Amino acid sequence: MKLKTVELTRRYGQKVAVDHMNMTLTSGVYGLLGPNGAGKTTLMRLLCTLQRPTSGKILLDGKNIGKLGEKYCSLLGYLPQDFQYYPDFTALDFLLYVAALKGLKEKSARKKSKELLEEVGLEAEGRHRIKSFSGGMKRRLGIAQAMLNDPRILILDEPTTGLDPKERVRFRNLISSFAKDRIVILSTHIVSDVEYIAEKILMMKSGQIIHFGSPGEITSEIDGLVWECSLPAGCAEHYAAKLNVSNLRNEGRGHTVLRIISEKMPVADAVQVQPNLEDLYLYYFKEQGGGK
Amino acid sequence: MKKLIQYEFRKIFKRRLTWIAVLAVLLLSFALSFSTYQNKFAFDGRNQASGRDAVEMDKAIAAKYEGVLTDEKVQQMLSELVPKSDSRGLNAIYLYQNTTQSAVAARFSDINGNWNGQSVSDVFGSEEIKIGYVDGWICASRDMTKIFLLLSFAVIIMIAPVFCTEYGGVDNIILSSRYGRSKCAAAKVIAGFLATVIITTVVVSGNMAQAFLFYGKDGLDCSILFAPLVSISEYIPFNITCGTLLRYQILLAFTGNISTAGITMIFSALCKNQMAALVASVAVYVFPAILPAAESGTLFRLATLSPLYHVLFVPIMSVSQIKDGILFAVFAIPIAVLFAIVGYLASCKIFAGHQVF
Repeated sequence: MKLKTVELTRRYGQKVAVDHMNMTLTSGVYGLLGPNGAGKTTLMRLLCTLQRPTSGKILLDGKNIGKLGEKYCSLLGYLPQDFQYYPDFTALDFLLYVAALKGLKEKSARKKSKELLEEVGLEAEGRHRIKSFSGGMKRRLGIAQAMLNDPRILILDEPTTGLDPKERVRFRNLISSFAKDRIVILSTHIVSDVEYIAEKILMMKSGQIIHFGSPGEITSEIDGLVWECSLPAGCAEHYAAKLNVSNLRNEGRGHTVLRIISEKMPVADAVQVQPNLEDLYLYYFKEQGGGK
Repeated sequence: MKKLIQYEFRKIFKRRLTWIAVLAVLLLSFALSFSTYQNKFAFDGRNQASGRDAVEMDKAIAAKYEGVLTDEKVQQMLSELVPKSDSRGLNAIYLYQNTTQSAVAARFSDINGNWNGQSVSDVFGSEEIKIGYVDGWICASRDMTKIFLLLSFAVIIMIAPVFCTEYGGVDNIILSSRYGRSKCAAAKVIAGFLATVIITTVVVSGNMAQAFLFYGKDGLDCSILFAPLVSISEYIPFNITCGTLLRYQILLAFTGNISTAGITMIFSALCKNQMAALVASVAVYVFPAILPAAESGTLFRLATLSPLYHVLFVPIMSVSQIKDGILFAVFAIPIAVLFAIVGYLASCKIFAGHQVF
C-alpha cells in the first residue's frame, strides 16, 4: 500500500496551510512534528477527505482518493484533535454508532467494540455515559473508535493529549502492535511519544515537509550540536535565557545540568551528547511557528 | 442503514429541547380542548347549561332536527328556537342560545329573529345539507388548527439540530467514515421524517381522542355548512361533512409538517449552528403569511400550498372544489412529496459536501 501526495496544496484565502507537498508513505508509523500552524492538522484532514485540496492530489496505490470515495474511507481510521462525542451516549453505544458508520455488521461491531474498550482500559466504563468521562478517558475512547474497522490507514491527531504516563505507554504499545502492514500517522507535541514508536519522522514547517526520515537519520543532522554542562544554579538561569536550552535539571548541591543546542561549545567544560528528537525539534522550532 | 436510522432517531429524541417542545404541544392541546369544552354554553328556552351539560343539551336539540335540511325544518326551528332579546339591547340575530338556534338564525332569520324569506335552496342551492350536532367537531377542528401551528414549530425545533449539531466536531468522525457522506446523511433525513410523522401522529391522535371523549362521534356525517354562526363554514363554502373536514385537516397536518421538516433539514445542513438553522427555517416557514396576496388571486392559491397554510388549514380549504368533496387542498400531497424529496436530496448533498475546518 502506498499513499502519495502530489503537489498537494491547501489555501485558506491568502494563507497557505499545505504548500505543494510531495511525499510517499508506505507501511509504518510516521510521526508528524511541527509547531502550531505548521499545517499538520490540515494535512491530516486532507488525508481523511475532510477537506478538498486547493490543488494537487492524494493517491492511494495510484488512484485519487477523491474518486475512491467510500472505498478509501473504509480503509481509514481517524482521531481528530478536537474529538467530539454525544454526551448522552455510553462509550459502548458510541463505538457501536461509529461501527455502523464504518459499515461493520452488528455482531462483529459489538465484539470489536468490547475488545477495544478493553484494550484502551475502558472495559468497566463501557456502559457509562461519555459526559461523565475525564479528558484522558475521552481520548482513549477516541483512539478506540479510530481503530474499530482495523484501518489500513490510521491517522491520529494529538492522540496522547490528556493521557497520563501509564496510559501513554499503553497507547504506544497498542499502536506498535497494530502498525504492521499499515500506515499510521500520528501528530503530537509530545516528542518522546513519536521517538518511541515512529519509524519515520515528518517534520513540517509552513505547510511543507522540511525533514523526512528515521529518528536516527534526522537527529544525525544535529550531531555535535548538543551539549551538556553542569553549572552553579545562579549561572544556569543566565545561560537558559541566553542559549537554546532543551533541558535543565537540578542536580542538588547548588548545581544544575543544562542541555544546550549550540553550533559551538556554549561554555567551558561542556561535553557533546547524543541528540534526540526533542533537541532537533527545538533546534528547528525554538520559537513557536518560527525557528531557524 | 437500519441501524444508522435507529441511532439518528435516538439522537433526535435524546435532545431535551425535542421533549420540551413535544410535551408543551401536548399540554397546550389538552388545555385548549379542555377549556373549549368547559366554556360551552347552551340555553334551551328554560334552562341554561355549561361544559358537559351544554354539550348534552346541544346534542339533544340537534337530534330533534337531525337529517336532511328542509324548508319545513327551518320553519320548525325558527318557531321553536325563538331567541329572547337581552337586557343589553342586542338584536335577536346576535343572541346565542344553542348551536342549532345559532345555525338557523345565521341563515334564515332577519335581524329581529323572524324568518328572512329565504328557502333552503336560496341559501344552499341544490346541495343536500345533512344537519345534526356538528359544533363539537367544528370546535375541535378550530382548536387543532392552533395546535398544529404550534406543532409545526415543534417540528422545526426538533429537526433544526439534525445536521448542524454535528458540525460542532463529530463531523470529523462521521465524514471520514465509510458511510458518513452517504448512508449516514440519508439516515438523518429518514429519521427526521420518521420523527416528524410520529410526533404528528401522537398529537393528532391525542386531539382526536380528546374530541371523541368530549363530544362523541355525533355529527361526523353532517355538513359543515349548517354550523353555528362565526364558524369554519363561513370560510369553507363547500358541502363537506365534518368527517371529511377532519380528514383534510389531519392530512394537511401531515403534509404541512413533512414539508416543514424538508425545509428545516436543508437549513440544518446549511447552517453551522442550531440557532441559525432554527431562525432561517422559521423565517422561510412564516414568509408566505406576509405576502400581499388577494384571496382570489393566483398568488394566494400558490401561497396556500406552503406548509404554513397546510396547518392553518382554512385558507387552503377555501380555495376551490375540484369535484364533490375533493378540494384544492389535495394538492398539498404532491407539494409535501416535493418538499420531502428536495429536503432529502439537498440536505444529503450539502452534508456530503461539507468540509471540516
